[in-house]
Amino acid sequence: MRKSPLATGLVLACLLSSTGIVVAAEPGTEDPNNWPQYNRTANAWRYSPLDQINKENVGKLSVAWIAHGGDITMGLQETPIVIDGVIYSISAGDKVTALDAKTGQTLWIYEPKLDPLNKKVLFSPYSRGVAVGHGMVFIGTVDGRGIAIDQRTGEEKWQVQLTDFANCHGCNFTSPPTVAGDILTFGSTAGELAAQGKIFGVEAATGKKVWEFNTIKQDPKSWPGDSGKYGGGGAWMPGTYDPETDTVFYGTGNPGKDFDDSERAGDNLYTDSVVALDPKSGKLKWYRQEIPNDVWDYDAPYEVLLFKKDGKDLIIHLNKSGYVYVLDKNTGNIENIWPISDVKNFVKDVDRKTGELIQRVELPMNKETLICPSTFGGRSWNSGAYNPKTGLWYNDVLDFCGYLKPVEQKVDPKDYGTGHTGSNDFGRLVMAPDGRKPGKLSANDPFTGERKWSVDMDVPGFACVLTTGGGLVFNGDPMGKLQAHDADTGKVLWSFNTGSGMRGGIVSYSVDGEQYILVASGWGSYAALLMPALLPQLEKVPAASTLIAFKVSK
Amino acid sequence: MRNIAVLACAMLVVGSAVVRPAADEMPNLKDPKVISAGHALFLEKQCAHCHGEDGAGGVNLARRVLDAKGVFISIADGREKNGIRMPAWREVLTDQEIWQATAYVLSISKTKQ
Repeated sequence: MRKSPLATGLVLACLLSSTGIVVAAEPGTEDPNNWPQYNRTANAWRYSPLDQINKENVGKLSVAWIAHGGDITMGLQETPIVIDGVIYSISAGDKVTALDAKTGQTLWIYEPKLDPLNKKVLFSPYSRGVAVGHGMVFIGTVDGRGIAIDQRTGEEKWQVQLTDFANCHGCNFTSPPTVAGDILTFGSTAGELAAQGKIFGVEAATGKKVWEFNTIKQDPKSWPGDSGKYGGGGAWMPGTYDPETDTVFYGTGNPGKDFDDSERAGDNLYTDSVVALDPKSGKLKWYRQEIPNDVWDYDAPYEVLLFKKDGKDLIIHLNKSGYVYVLDKNTGNIENIWPISDVKNFVKDVDRKTGELIQRVELPMNKETLICPSTFGGRSWNSGAYNPKTGLWYNDVLDFCGYLKPVEQKVDPKDYGTGHTGSNDFGRLVMAPDGRKPGKLSANDPFTGERKWSVDMDVPGFACVLTTGGGLVFNGDPMGKLQAHDADTGKVLWSFNTGSGMRGGIVSYSVDGEQYILVASGWGSYAALLMPALLPQLEKVPAASTLIAFKVSK
Repeated sequence: MRNIAVLACAMLVVGSAVVRPAADEMPNLKDPKVISAGHALFLEKQCAHCHGEDGAGGVNLARRVLDAKGVFISIADGREKNGIRMPAWREVLTDQEIWQATAYVLSISKTKQ
């Protein structure tokens, strides 16, 4: 029997509208008014299609409101989430605040009581964000727990201890979990810790742990002898969940000891890799190791961007070495590899087809070796942003180096404040040998690496970049300068002094038909501790924990 | 009466075991052996990570005038000031080790010897 076109249309409309209601309530939905997850959308582009603020009127951008209240310790490193007119923010001590996105007024606060041991561990008390889904706000804490909070009221719904905090050298969570359907995935810190870093799968509704994935492969060829016991790794940045293939992608951390591989003469899987996991079981679908047997601290936990191009499903993934990997999303096969900067000497090059590291520079014990890029990487963990209108990927490139010196080190997972790095420090920072400026905002084709434009920076950027449908790129620097650039040319169209440096995210959302730009201003993190040795002006930057919302004045 | 005396003594012993004022154990902070031991700790515990081996690192100690008890407390209990944070070392290091590290820190600072 032939179906009537009207009936078919009605059925389709019903399906779409009912699907639309479900989808609109869950993160990752393409709702231009919201910023519902860490990199805004499932493809991790950090792109807001809103264009009410654009090249023509951004010069009239002014402050709509300011919200203080967070502890300033280690700054404000978060990317705030914004859903349906409510901001979900996390500040030091894992304090979660819900705010009215139109006024900045506080709606509710949740503050966990942290294990006092967090005062002794390396990676505390900061967080890069929350995750929202299933009517709840989820956090990973600096004492290794997952916690769920009621999205409307701020009441705790459940909590679960995931890491063996006291016995894994303080391994914990400094980034939000990833909502992967009915599962939450949490990636722990580990690279500089005498531990094996894990990724955990937890039922979102109940907090019940259902699986854990060990980023240290149990393979004596990969980890000779006992070297894997404290292999490090981990996955300390948020993952990317792809609903199309029901896969969660993580970049993993570096092997330990960072700079001394004398006991781990193998490829050290799955460190410095992209891993593709089934979120229901934690089963490994595929992996692509980018830096085998790493001795430069070039971990790979950065964002996994997803693309469809010329009929292929692709991943774009940058690791700390500064090399960008273009991979097949379904297999991890290499399509291309390109360097985001030419300030690099740790290898002569990386084979674009096989990924082989060509002419590695090894580190002799007890001697300093100049390595570029530094342990901050060719870019730090602050995400870049891709604009589909320009076809360009915008990143804060770091162009400075460091002297690395491996030394003998005893392993002690109870020595909480000392990194399991095989060194006395994390590299003595120096400018690039050719004396160039230490950073640049760079606009590149993400597939070929071709640079369209760049803007040199006297003080390199450590904030997540935002790009918008209004043709703009927003970037903030550690001195407090927030700027809007023309996305096509890099020309500065607007500038504002936020009063403290930026280390977290810049996002955009809309409420009642008005577009806002929201900035986390509060200098901190290990960049605040270490960078003044290279750039003394950073010593005077005041810390803060402030959200600033801007809109175009009428 | 004897029982009360015994109890009082016991309480005194317990009380003194719980309270361990650090200053009572302060060694001679100018002793080269103490400073040398502190230097070794400074490197081993990666203090140089933030402070630089000579104190002129990202969190510069070389320019500061410091006092011994303040340095001891900062190392023992950690420090959160102006947004930057140092982890706490009490019970990870012994008090004697913290004093040794204190001696080295004072020796590289602007503190008048």
